[in-house]
Amino acid sequence: MIFLDPDKRVDLATAASHIGDGALLALGGGLSSRLPMALVRELVRQGRTSLHVVGSAHSMDVDLLVAAGALSICEESYVGFEQDLGLAPAYRRAAESGTITLRESCCVTILTQLRAAEMGLPFLPVRGIKGTDMRRLHPEYAETTCPFTGEVLVAVPPLIPDAALIHAPLGDLHGNLYLDKPYVLDERFAGASRAVIATVDRIVSTDELVEYGITIPAHYVQAVAEVPFGAHPASSYPNYAYDRDHMGVYVKAASKPESAAQYIEEWVMLPDGEDGYRAKLGEESLQRLTTWSESTQTWKGLFA
Amino acid sequence: MTYTFDEWFVVTLARTISDREVVFHGFGSPCAQVAMHVAKRTHAPDMLLIEGAMYAVNPNPPFIPPTGNDSSLKQGAAYSMKFEEFFDAAIRGDVDRMFLSGGQIDAYGNTNVTAVGPLEKPKVKLGGGGGGCNISATIGQLTLWTTRHRSGRTLVDKCDFITDIGHVTPAGNRAELGYTGGGPQWMVTELGVFDYDSEGRARLVEVYSDVDVDTVREATGFEFTTAADVKTVASPTCAELTIVRGIDPLGVRKSEFDPAELTRTYDHVHDPGCNC
Repeated sequence: MIFLDPDKRVDLATAASHIGDGALLALGGGLSSRLPMALVRELVRQGRTSLHVVGSAHSMDVDLLVAAGALSICEESYVGFEQDLGLAPAYRRAAESGTITLRESCCVTILTQLRAAEMGLPFLPVRGIKGTDMRRLHPEYAETTCPFTGEVLVAVPPLIPDAALIHAPLGDLHGNLYLDKPYVLDERFAGASRAVIATVDRIVSTDELVEYGITIPAHYVQAVAEVPFGAHPASSYPNYAYDRDHMGVYVKAASKPESAAQYIEEWVMLPDGEDGYRAKLGEESLQRLTTWSESTQTWKGLFA
Repeated sequence: MTYTFDEWFVVTLARTISDREVVFHGFGSPCAQVAMHVAKRTHAPDMLLIEGAMYAVNPNPPFIPPTGNDSSLKQGAAYSMKFEEFFDAAIRGDVDRMFLSGGQIDAYGNTNVTAVGPLEKPKVKLGGGGGGCNISATIGQLTLWTTRHRSGRTLVDKCDFITDIGHVTPAGNRAELGYTGGGPQWMVTELGVFDYDSEGRARLVEVYSDVDVDTVREATGFEFTTAADVKTVASPTCAELTIVRGIDPLGVRKSEFDPAELTRTYDHVHDPGCNC
């Protein structure tokens, strides 16, 4: 959809209020980079339930939604903390006990479905999937025969998320967003979704943003909230690196339902929301994450 | 000079890369990631190295971080692909090699990174396959690897779920499925190296110096043949070891191994390939 308001700035609570229970959400960023964590935390604070998420390879954003009981269907291509911190604890527990519906997908399939949505087409074909068990998770896929070559391909329907939650390091009041690579699927999410709900570390003038370059244009964006460290503990380069220590704190807590609930109580359900979250982390620990560009030694030291 | 098994393993992976190949590794794959940089700096200087979840082309990272999409991984790269740019290249057949692993791997090189046990109620929900389910069909060659062969649970007779395709699946072989990619060429484990025979089944060709064929058989859930002459995996050169240590000072590669494997230590023996 196209959004024409000249000023899209809202607070985080208002931004999150555009998302209803049961919404189909595209999560921006990936793994440890530009996860829409402030929006995820705010959805948990607002008690959202039955969410359905799609995307590529994700980690704490999905796991926290699962731990909070906010998620019903997961259609990400991967959820985990890589070799470093391992499997996603709450996601794994919920999948193994059947409390969430697994609809695991593949990056290429999701990309193709988003392109179908962007082009307004009823389907597009993919060349893979045949021979794998992915169709057991996706009875909605079909087969199609190429009218030119006779090749039988798997046909996948368009994917139209209700909202794409995207965190950007910089944006302007109109909702234009600058992203640092990798953009992952965010440009495609913006084109395919009904709305982009954005957070940015900092709102700058349009002139300054144009100097960086606009990755996602304002007309896709319904609302933009300025939330410093809004991706934390994921990274938001060039502003800050990911907080490996805090990810570790979360993964450890999420390993058991009781300590996962305690993490949410302690780090998410703060009466003053993100201000409280940043205050609890402390200025020193947050500033440390911004020092990555000082030297290789400093950068490497953040992850040691 | 001594070296440890993780270093030897990474060098073994690196040697599956040929010069002038376009090569990709997925996220959460530090051994493959380090291996690509070793190959690029030794025998494959003209490979096109596409850095995992950054899609950076020929970067020169100051170190390998513990996550696959930290900005350090695109340092020195003049260009980073977009996500769709990489995946388009992979599905149209412009990527020559990908590294792929799995919680389960069968004799034909099908891999499972989705779930162990019944899908409705998995015993272990694994992380998921990223883009593998499509691009394993079309990428030129696959180097499979696992660091968990010895567990007895990884190389299985039948995958509980096929996420990425090998040479033959219950739905047919690659030709029958219309797939242009060549499928698995090598499988490197912490015990040895397999290639694939004309029927697409794994065949043991090399073992590490502290491993015998019986140990490999005991740990493997499928029947396999062996090369007429099972050799010892070639040991790493000083140049290769220096590069491994230089590119991965944080030792991120070690996170893939059971701690017991990291105690395997070897004396470096000079040979003509070694520029000590």
